[in-house]
Amino acid sequence: MDSMIAAAARALAAGDLLGALKRVALRDDAPALALRGIAMAQLGDLARAKALLKDAARAFAPRETVAKARCIVAEAEIALVSRDLAWPPRELAAARATLEAHGDRLNAAHARLLEVRRMLLIGDLDDAARSLRELDAEPLPPALRASYEMALAGIAIRRLHTRTACDALERAAQAAHDAGIPALAAEVEGMNHVLRIPAGRLISRGGARPLLLGEVEALFASGSLVVDACRYAVREAQTVVPLATRPVLFALARVLAERWPGDASREELVSRAFRGKEADESHRARLRVEMGRLRNELRAFADISATKEGFVLAPKGDREVVVLAPPVEEEEGAVLALLADGEAWSSSALAIALGASARTVQRSLEALAQAGKVHAFGRGPARRWTIPSLPGFPSTLLLPGALPES
Amino acid sequence: MKTSKAEILREYGPFPGKDSVAGVTYDGEHMWFASGDKLNAVDTAAGEIVRSIDISAHAGTAFDGKHLFQIAEDRIQKIDPLTGQVLATIPAPGNGGDSGLAWAEGALWVGNYRGRKIHQIDPETGAVLREIESNRFVTGVTWVDGELWHATWEGDDSELRRIDPQTGEVLHRLEMPAGANVSGLESDGGSQFFCGGGGSGKIRAVRRPG
Repeated sequence: MDSMIAAAARALAAGDLLGALKRVALRDDAPALALRGIAMAQLGDLARAKALLKDAARAFAPRETVAKARCIVAEAEIALVSRDLAWPPRELAAARATLEAHGDRLNAAHARLLEVRRMLLIGDLDDAARSLRELDAEPLPPALRASYEMALAGIAIRRLHTRTACDALERAAQAAHDAGIPALAAEVEGMNHVLRIPAGRLISRGGARPLLLGEVEALFASGSLVVDACRYAVREAQTVVPLATRPVLFALARVLAERWPGDASREELVSRAFRGKEADESHRARLRVEMGRLRNELRAFADISATKEGFVLAPKGDREVVVLAPPVEEEEGAVLALLADGEAWSSSALAIALGASARTVQRSLEALAQAGKVHAFGRGPARRWTIPSLPGFPSTLLLPGALPES
Repeated sequence: MKTSKAEILREYGPFPGKDSVAGVTYDGEHMWFASGDKLNAVDTAAGEIVRSIDISAHAGTAFDGKHLFQIAEDRIQKIDPLTGQVLATIPAPGNGGDSGLAWAEGALWVGNYRGRKIHQIDPETGAVLREIESNRFVTGVTWVDGELWHATWEGDDSELRRIDPQTGEVLHRLEMPAGANVSGLESDGGSQFFCGGGGSGKIRAVRRPG
């Protein structure tokens, strides 16, 4: 490393961003580009940072593999924070492997945490958990430690392991405090907030009330027969019957559960499951067929019998039947749920995260925008979507040092 | 050209509170090393820092028998080792791209890292007297018994190289073991080199061949 780069790197490490930039502003060699990229990222000019880091990665000599890999990790982090989920994850994995092979333990861990965060965002919970298990959290410095605990909490929240999530968030808060990065502490607090606001709505015997995440977890453990409209499944304790790909069966199950212990009329079943106006003879025939299918699916927990008016759900044993609905039900609930993280999303990133087509997501976004529930800014591929009412807590950049010596 | 493996005789550091080592030099009694915002004198027998001077110290360090010279940003400071006072400052020839520093024959020799060359300059004015090309990144530079040696560090690979001061031709390559990278270089005037280990925070003593 040369003198000015060393001076700039020291300034950067001390948080003197302008001091760092001043020292390398006019230089276009690889380490100068990398330092300028990191400094611009910290200053919030992500577009410029991305371009500089890309140039830097290209400009390092082929044998400067560690410096190159660090630039790629920084680029990946910026892509993640910009919700550019199309950024190639294989490049990040390769950079991590390089850093691991060269004993750059901390930056390798940083790269892995970025991989885990991306998996979390696109809902690959199993992969995220597996990848996180391969990481030894013990020697991580506070900022990375906070990031690690937040990833643990993120997985636990999505899996409804409230206790695990709370414990991880407590450790994350301590680590963020130790790191002395207020934005990071705010992010932990934002996740904590999720545990204190309703995660669902319990519909039971004609009444409805909001449920916190911990209460949802307790509900699932209670042995009640739960028709889960957040995950499109019917469950009882550990047994889950997924119906996400069978919307008609799910709709029928939900109507039956909402009317339980009474019966549900043919008219209501037909109108909600088939969107038919009245239960004519062909609808009745179809209803019988679909009920037969649903009976088959739910055989382990309940029976379904015909009544004079319609059908009734008869759970085995002494179980309650309830419906767990999303806190706010709307057609575009899934899109809103993702945007609720406060970040600006591209429609293509939303499509990747939801596993839906770009066209479907676009339609949802347009509908939500007309209702004033989401805002768009930017044009063309740079267009991003946000929820205006939500306080946007920042997704803190914990960038790697760009140079092997630092 | 001869090629051999570097033999590491001893490792110093890492020193408490010093996360990296830039330039190194030797004043006949103490080994000095630059650590960003300090120049530190090390007792080579005990392997401990005995004194530090608060001064910007980003790259090469040298000793002319009386003064210390230290590169900081794009300049070279001339320092009284007794008082720590900066007596004079001259511009560095690489305009901040400078790495190693050595004193010999009444001149300063300055490594230019990515420029892959060594500048010989007038220690009074900073005027460039001569330029020697290398084909590798140049970190530390030192003279011993009329031999010009410089260290290289590119990616994972570091070595010490003796070059012909007239032509730049490589006469001897001393390969450092994997992971032992060399930021600064100085000879003790006798049988060993001191090699600054960059971010490892270590200084390694290497046997001088011959």
